[in-house]
Amino acid sequence: MTKATAQDVLRINCLTPTVGVITAIREESSDVKTFRISSLDGLKPFTPNPGQLGMLSLPAIGEAMFSITAQEENSIDMAIKATGHLTDALHQLEEGQQVGVRGPYGNGFPLEYCQGKDMLFIAGGIGLAPVRSMIDYCVKYRENFGTLTVIYGARSKEDLCFKEDLFEHWPQVKNMNVYVTIDRPQEDWKGHVGFVPDYIKELAPTPKVAIICGPPVMIKFSLPALSALGFSDQDIITTLEMRMKCGVGKCGRCNIGSCYVCLDGPVFTQEQLKKLPAEY
Amino acid sequence: MQILEKSKLDDFLQMLAKHQPVIVPTDVDGLSQYAPYQAQMTLLLDGKPTVSPKGIFLPQTEAIYRFKAQGKNLLIAEMENQQTPQVLFFVRHCDVQGIVCLDKVFMSPEYTDQQYAKKREITTIFALRCNGSKESCFCTSMGVDPEKANPAAADVEVYDLGDQFAFEALNERGEKVLSQAAELLSNQDNVILPPVPERKLQLKTEGLPEKLSTTFDAPIWNDFMFKCLGCGTCTYLCPTCHCFDINNKLRGEDGLKLRTWDSCMFDEYTLMAGGHQPRTGKKERIRNRFLHKLQYFYEKHQMFLCVGCGRCLTKCPMNIDISKFVQQVMKEESR
Repeated sequence: MTKATAQDVLRINCLTPTVGVITAIREESSDVKTFRISSLDGLKPFTPNPGQLGMLSLPAIGEAMFSITAQEENSIDMAIKATGHLTDALHQLEEGQQVGVRGPYGNGFPLEYCQGKDMLFIAGGIGLAPVRSMIDYCVKYRENFGTLTVIYGARSKEDLCFKEDLFEHWPQVKNMNVYVTIDRPQEDWKGHVGFVPDYIKELAPTPKVAIICGPPVMIKFSLPALSALGFSDQDIITTLEMRMKCGVGKCGRCNIGSCYVCLDGPVFTQEQLKKLPAEY
Repeated sequence: MQILEKSKLDDFLQMLAKHQPVIVPTDVDGLSQYAPYQAQMTLLLDGKPTVSPKGIFLPQTEAIYRFKAQGKNLLIAEMENQQTPQVLFFVRHCDVQGIVCLDKVFMSPEYTDQQYAKKREITTIFALRCNGSKESCFCTSMGVDPEKANPAAADVEVYDLGDQFAFEALNERGEKVLSQAAELLSNQDNVILPPVPERKLQLKTEGLPEKLSTTFDAPIWNDFMFKCLGCGTCTYLCPTCHCFDINNKLRGEDGLKLRTWDSCMFDEYTLMAGGHQPRTGKKERIRNRFLHKLQYFYEKHQMFLCVGCGRCLTKCPMNIDISKFVQQVMKEESR
């Protein structure tokens, strides 16, 4: 089998995955692992845009949609929190395990709209996984964007994901600032302590394009903070998750109003969300 | 048009059945539904079967692919699609419209569901022009024409003339199937068609989607939520409800991945790993179902995802009635 493209996904039944293999597993935090996946012949299973999604399955157990947090020439990375039947099973796997994989799905971040603009990335916990795909893109095409700012929070030091990026790679990028916070004080933590919404208020970034993803309570209090700082609804971009089975707009369950998160999302601006029922 | 004496219907169906399987409305263990034709079978020619024909194209359980999970290894093999042609008989115009709705979902330009598309491709559909309206029929309010079957799904239109049937092929595929029993058919021009009975239930639906777009937080939903048992009967009998779950059947290392009917009336339908539930209760679920049928689908496809067949209102154990909901919305200024 050669590299599966979007065309292949159309050719075969759209619900049938191709076989991929986990080539590396990295522990990010106490309950998050990043899985690197290639096709059986060592190629990239599919080529997603930043913010797009992929279905990952252990067919005997289940299948679920995950954001693709990063990609290399011949692989995609999915960062997955152990939080249910399938994800707990994924956390038991070893390298070399073959899995089902299909995608890419969804709209992804609005790359053209973001060109040339200053970017603010806000994330909490595993919410950094989808945002990171866009950060990576901005770092890769650094000259196409203005300043890059990251505000990231987790419950504790142990819950911080992507530590190498946060503390080593990103701080070295030109005109890029990274602010990390944890919820409560901890021994040998010299960084900021406090919740993300409060940290936003404290840092008071000037209005720019904000990409935000995290637990509902973080989003709930961060949005008014951004609005108060003068961010427009059009420039507040978030990525949602809903339960999905098919990923192609047919099984029904991921709708918010007339939008299907798998087709029309997962990326929505605050302006778009205000027009949809608050049912997510 | 081509005329068949009703007394010859059995001969006609037998003749067709020599060429391909024929599916007809009949009674199976007390439940009217579509089933493979057998000689001398009693057909249901008045009213519509309780179970809609959607299962012909979207079976209640259907294998999507095979797999073998052996230690670290995984094999995935596609299922072979059914290739033999079949004929589906006496589909009421409401149910024909239901199939057109399913086409919009499963044969969308972005992603075509190959298994569904194959079944549509091999199935010739004989529509039956309405010959009797029930108390619960409101198809005309939902954009269905009881005089003329939607040609996007119907291949042959059948007219009930009393002692005879008149067949009108709507396309080449229909003509081909009719030619298999040409010796039983006689050509006749100027066939006088009996009038289609008027719908007893007529709802005002002009501007309904727009009106519904302002009712999301209106109290009207409370009138409908308390009675609901969340049993899902409405969704299973509905000719357009198409939500499905994906499950497995395991035998040792060998497995089948199955697509099974699901229902938006169930709690687990939207329940996420980690416990988040975007539609928390019966009110949210009924609201989503009604709005999907009458507003959300309309916004996407400019047609309702309800065909006015009336199955859900007659079979709901708690008498929840979508037609009453429509009447109430159209009557009230969003109170």
